[in-house]
Amino acid sequence: MTEQMTRYDRRMFELMNRPEAAVLYATARRRRLVVAAHIVLTLASLAAWLGTVLGESAWVMYALLALLLPWCVATGVINAATRGLLELRHRALDERQIADKRRVVTRAHRLTTWVLLAAAAGVGALTWLGEVDTEALAFPVLFAVFVVHWIAPLWVAGLTVADGPVDDEVVGDEAAASPPPAA
Amino acid sequence: MSEQVHNRLAMVRAERKVSRQRLAEAVGAHYQTIGYIERGQYNPSLDLALKIARFFELPVEALFSLEPFRPLTDEIYGRKQ
Repeated sequence: MTEQMTRYDRRMFELMNRPEAAVLYATARRRRLVVAAHIVLTLASLAAWLGTVLGESAWVMYALLALLLPWCVATGVINAATRGLLELRHRALDERQIADKRRVVTRAHRLTTWVLLAAAAGVGALTWLGEVDTEALAFPVLFAVFVVHWIAPLWVAGLTVADGPVDDEVVGDEAAASPPPAA
Repeated sequence: MSEQVHNRLAMVRAERKVSRQRLAEAVGAHYQTIGYIERGQYNPSLDLALKIARFFELPVEALFSLEPFRPLTDEIYGRKQ
């Protein structure tokens, strides 16, 4: 927190530190459930979007629209659990949060490296077996890997965040009511 | 790799009746960070440790130590370890 926070930073800080959904991420088990739900919703939304773009069925678009709301809720819960670790700018984070963010991004990078390897090996194997048209597979596979690369830090952050201090509920109310730390 | 740093932050904060939120605002940290320091789950940087010490107007070694702190009653009444 070496730079002056802007009004946007302060608003986002307050938003990310609102305690209303605390019950949904109070324990490690609940956080794991939320992340698991988010993974399922992301993959289902991805499949629906690809179906909308590449397919011709209209119902897929309605399925995509139906998935969007719970996906947004799950994303909000993970962001609230991590106190906006990945949403807030560096100047709105303190030294511990910046270290946590670096750790999360490093782990997510390692994860997506394996996902990329699996995707490359899978596409290579299918092409070698001659079972699929590589050109038809390129876009959906690349887009799926892109989405995983984009969202993996959120999943890692949601799974690795530690329980808050015991009296956080009281302090959390204070946090929502008072301004963020001065730079 | 990092060594455990012991601290008396929770005790001093309670004694001075300072909330985590107020301390966090004063030193430019998140209130959860203060909680993690108190629980020994996060070792503050020298910069942050000095800011906390300055806030309480105490020398930094009164708050942080590489050795476990003796109970205050032992220090005051001189019970030998």
